[in-house]
Amino acid sequence: MMTDATAPTRKEDHRLLTGRGRFVSDLQLPRMRHVTFVRSPMAHAEIVSVDVAGTVAAGAEVFTSESPGFEVALRALSALPGYVETDQPPLARDKVRFAGEAVAAVVHDDRYLAEDAAEQVIVDYQPLDVTIGAWHQNATAVTNGAWHQTVTPVHDAAPDNVLLQRTFEAGDVDAACDAAAVVVRRELVTNRHGGNPIEGRAGVALFDDGKLTFWSGTQIPHLVRNLIADLVGLAESSIRVIAPDVGGGFGVKAVLYPEDLALCLMAKAMPGTPVKWVEDRSEHLLSACASRDHRYELEAAFDADGRLTAVRGDMWCNVGAYSVMPWTAGIEPLMAGGLLTGPYKLDNYRCTVRGVATNTAPAGPYRGVARPATVYAMECLLDSGAAALGMDPLDLRRINLIGLDDVPYRMPTRLVDDTGHYDECLDEAERRLDLAAVREEQARRRREGGRPIGIGVAIYNELTGLGRAASAGPRMPFRTGHEACTVRVNPDGKVVVLSGVTSQGQGLETTLAQVVADAVGVGYEDVEVRYGDTDQVLWGFGAFSSRQAVIAGGAARLAADELRGNIVALAAELYEANAHDLDLIDGEIRVAGSPDPIGNLADVARASWLESNRLPAGFEPGLDVTRFYDPVMGAFAAGVQLAAIELDPATGGIEILEWVCVEDAGRIINPQIVHGQVVGSLAQGVGGALYEHLVYDELGNLSTGTLLDYLMPTAAEIPDFDVGHVEQPADNPLGVRGVGEGGTLGPAAVIASAIHDALGVELDELPASPDRVWSLMRRAEVGGSP
Amino acid sequence: MKPAPFELVRPATVDDAVAVLADPAADAKPLAGGQSLVPLLAMRLATPATLVDLNTIGSLTGIDDTADERVRFGAMTRQSTLVRSRRHGLVAHASAWIGHTAIRSRGTIGGSVAHADPSAELPSVAVACDGVIGVAGPDGSRTIAAVDLFESMLETTLRSDEIITEVTLRRPQRWGFAEFARRDGDFALVLAVIAEVADGWRVVLGGVGPTPWRCRDAERLLDDSATDMSGLDEAILDAVADTVETFDDVHASAEYRRAMAAEFTARALADMADREPGDA
Amino acid sequence: MRDVELAVNGRVRALRVDDRHTLADALREQLGLTGTHLGCEHGVCGACTVLVDGEPVRSCLMFAAQAVDAEITTIEGLAQPDGTLHPVQQAFSDCHGLQCGFCTPGFVLTAVHLVETHVVDAAAGPLDRDAIRHELSGNICRCTGYQGIVDAVERAVEIRLR
Repeated sequence: MMTDATAPTRKEDHRLLTGRGRFVSDLQLPRMRHVTFVRSPMAHAEIVSVDVAGTVAAGAEVFTSESPGFEVALRALSALPGYVETDQPPLARDKVRFAGEAVAAVVHDDRYLAEDAAEQVIVDYQPLDVTIGAWHQNATAVTNGAWHQTVTPVHDAAPDNVLLQRTFEAGDVDAACDAAAVVVRRELVTNRHGGNPIEGRAGVALFDDGKLTFWSGTQIPHLVRNLIADLVGLAESSIRVIAPDVGGGFGVKAVLYPEDLALCLMAKAMPGTPVKWVEDRSEHLLSACASRDHRYELEAAFDADGRLTAVRGDMWCNVGAYSVMPWTAGIEPLMAGGLLTGPYKLDNYRCTVRGVATNTAPAGPYRGVARPATVYAMECLLDSGAAALGMDPLDLRRINLIGLDDVPYRMPTRLVDDTGHYDECLDEAERRLDLAAVREEQARRRREGGRPIGIGVAIYNELTGLGRAASAGPRMPFRTGHEACTVRVNPDGKVVVLSGVTSQGQGLETTLAQVVADAVGVGYEDVEVRYGDTDQVLWGFGAFSSRQAVIAGGAARLAADELRGNIVALAAELYEANAHDLDLIDGEIRVAGSPDPIGNLADVARASWLESNRLPAGFEPGLDVTRFYDPVMGAFAAGVQLAAIELDPATGGIEILEWVCVEDAGRIINPQIVHGQVVGSLAQGVGGALYEHLVYDELGNLSTGTLLDYLMPTAAEIPDFDVGHVEQPADNPLGVRGVGEGGTLGPAAVIASAIHDALGVELDELPASPDRVWSLMRRAEVGGSP
Repeated sequence: MKPAPFELVRPATVDDAVAVLADPAADAKPLAGGQSLVPLLAMRLATPATLVDLNTIGSLTGIDDTADERVRFGAMTRQSTLVRSRRHGLVAHASAWIGHTAIRSRGTIGGSVAHADPSAELPSVAVACDGVIGVAGPDGSRTIAAVDLFESMLETTLRSDEIITEVTLRRPQRWGFAEFARRDGDFALVLAVIAEVADGWRVVLGGVGPTPWRCRDAERLLDDSATDMSGLDEAILDAVADTVETFDDVHASAEYRRAMAAEFTARALADMADREPGDA
Repeated sequence: MRDVELAVNGRVRALRVDDRHTLADALREQLGLTGTHLGCEHGVCGACTVLVDGEPVRSCLMFAAQAVDAEITTIEGLAQPDGTLHPVQQAFSDCHGLQCGFCTPGFVLTAVHLVETHVVDAAAGPLDRDAIRHELSGNICRCTGYQGIVDAVERAVEIRLR
């Protein structure tokens, strides 16, 4: 039975539904002790002293930056010109740079006792000036790329707090602006928010017999092994990283954190004792990577027909107190500048991006990396352009979209868009929304009264499955384009897949089993997929950039195809048949046209592994293939979201009436999982657009430190999304495109666009909370429109 | 996020509970449903040496009608029971707005009143229904009018050695309720309770200030209107907007809260107009 | 520390707990019932929801020592011994109502209570998607966008009412 394009019962489901998941936070080992970090209550301060006497008296082990081994630091490397490299110690040394930074680590017999002991650590701080905002705080000049003077820099190496600055430039922007029919300008601010997987970060480290084993809820186990080796003073070969079931990641767990390093250093200092740390929610909000704290000052030029002729401007990304390992402080600014113009044709582009350090938690990858903010910015420019030209916003977009005739299309930032299916997605979205009917209802309400309705749109390209030529990350000391996969037939005829990717809920155990089962010719239930253990799996970069289906799926397919060939060749010899006539279906060897199988995979496997006496000449024992796959380029995925919202004029509240998302997922392996990925990312996008906001006060304290204040949407806030697909096969072994992130890219743009459509007002700041929308509506009334 | 050490005492009677609370060496706090206190313990924002668990005191549960047409709720009556029993229409309706099912399974009427969160439903309902709070302490029992109980944000006039034993509420002849929260089940950004009880009207707003706030000007307008309320709405909303003293936080500006106070007063009035008279 | 007996999933278990140990930690750390997950430990996310005398309760907001006279059901107590899933669990699998699975135990137990309550009181009115969304709003899922979860509860209600 082929499983392609079906949704068999997920291999993950039974254990997860019966409470037998294997999460790091569930791990219990003999002699295990528990870790609590002492975190800074100050955003920026010199550490005068750390007194641990009381803690030791309470029976705890205590580690500080003075402890042996802790003199090392994380240092996110990049060869980008002008990038300022900075150090992040595992435990703060000399000074703290954000409220929530770990200053000491306390180890005790259980978490309760560890937290008791942590209260006995007395840290004396000497406060320093605090920088919270990346553009307004302490600013003295913000023109022509010159950056402001800060009072006390976050890092001495960057006196102006700018860790990275780069100008993207193509064409003659100023001439195009001079010649334009209209030039619109927008100043936009997006809201800091973050992943908040329901399982926080978690790790258990054990150093025994010269080997370090690190169970970690990481998305990137092989990278963690590689990056941590030097830092803990061990050979990479002496380290095993295991990422078992992981309770959500979303990018937040694709980072090597100082806590990870501290945990491994503690384990090394306590041989034979497993040390366990499970991040609590308060720690997550304070110290895990956040994202999307940006400011955009942009102009867009259009000719009289609505053609986009130039985009120019500046962006500031608040990268927080440290440059995240390994992605660097460039992760958001470079993605923002590189992909701002998205699916729109453009020749003239100049944009200067800056990653600015502040005394806030570090910024890092979060599903969609920067693009939920840049898509909002770009779509705002288009809506303003349409308004200025008196054009329908959708018509204006259609004029400018990259089309089938244009691909491969070289974007002004030199990325190559290989899809031209935006129009097709937009057509399908309009059909699903029934755009004409919504417009009619909108007009009726305008005539007869009733709550205003707005239609919002976002069109984007999701850059997925990046190969070496478009590798994720800014010129880091490695390229993330490839992935290894081993496919093996065990002596009993069952198939094992060892994949370099990891899964944090994306169902890779299921999807890869489908790919391999179909390609080899065995039943789905006879395939077992293993990943996340560096001692089992040859090599993998892990889960990020919507790469698993494309790259790991590709590697699995290549390995499975080759293995099938090996099986058939051996079977032909064993059963004295012609290999061209043989088929392998559901584990049975069949001859074309004959009703009964002539053998089965278990028999072939047994011969291969155990009965060398049966092996024909030229055949080595074993049925086992490892292949790497690197798509070299990537697979752009087109996406369109279209929604109708209703505004409550009294409260500024937004009710989502309908929300349509149409994406090009390429060929779909498992429709249920693809649907789940799209819906899940849409919900996170809606959360970021309407609810979620990490707010700091002027002293750098997090004002939204609980889930009563950091508002993740619940089932009651999220609508039923109508998800459609156009399936345009991509150029890779499975024909697939990534679908993990696209959903997050649209919502902020859609909401702003819908508010603009409903009321003619511009939402320049996110989230679109009711008080903000209400103020906007009041200002519009005072101003006499609409 | 684990509580600091404490001793859990599980008394069988109110007297036993009060005895522990009255012992200064015990540094004790009462524990009702725990839905607000336990998070504070987990964050170590509260670190009592002793917790006196009221869940073991059978006499603190039960709902009955009093001779003077009031409803008496035992302090440990669960919010889920308040919703299900429907012994008091306004209480049942407002309680359904408290958190979520799993919160209401443990949360109690006495605990909610004692916690004195101005954004919570029951403190405002208690004020609107002329609540009388029965209290037990080392010197015996006393009662406190709900309006006199709420002192400031999360602060009451209860002494540290007293517990709430019962909450007695009038049944309004008419009432309306409206609440605005960012998400389903969140504490209110603003909530409004309007009730006609015994001799007059109560207009109570939650979430706008440190305690449930009675808008006396609005109440006077209603009291003076005799039976004809037509055309009053505008004046009531103005009274609310003009006299409410409110604040900024991460969720809303004071200006917005003021506007929502008026808006949700309007919605509570509309809710009242929609209700059957038998809904008391 | 005190010795207590907890009735969990139909079995009485003796254990020794500190007064401050939450029910969630006692289940996880002492009884090895790690299916009950901690997502926030301050009563918002709902991942730790268990049934106490049939009612959904945040096990992070209740102390183990308070649970001595109650019947506790955790996610481990729903399926048949042979692994056959409870209809609600089965519906979650069929409808892709879980991805990473971390919030899932809390959702499933909340849904079991919701479905059973509704079956007993079907006269209370239809459990439409809006009502399901409202009833589930005490649990946060970060992966699914809730659509599969709402589908699963709808399906479980249908199956139970059949």
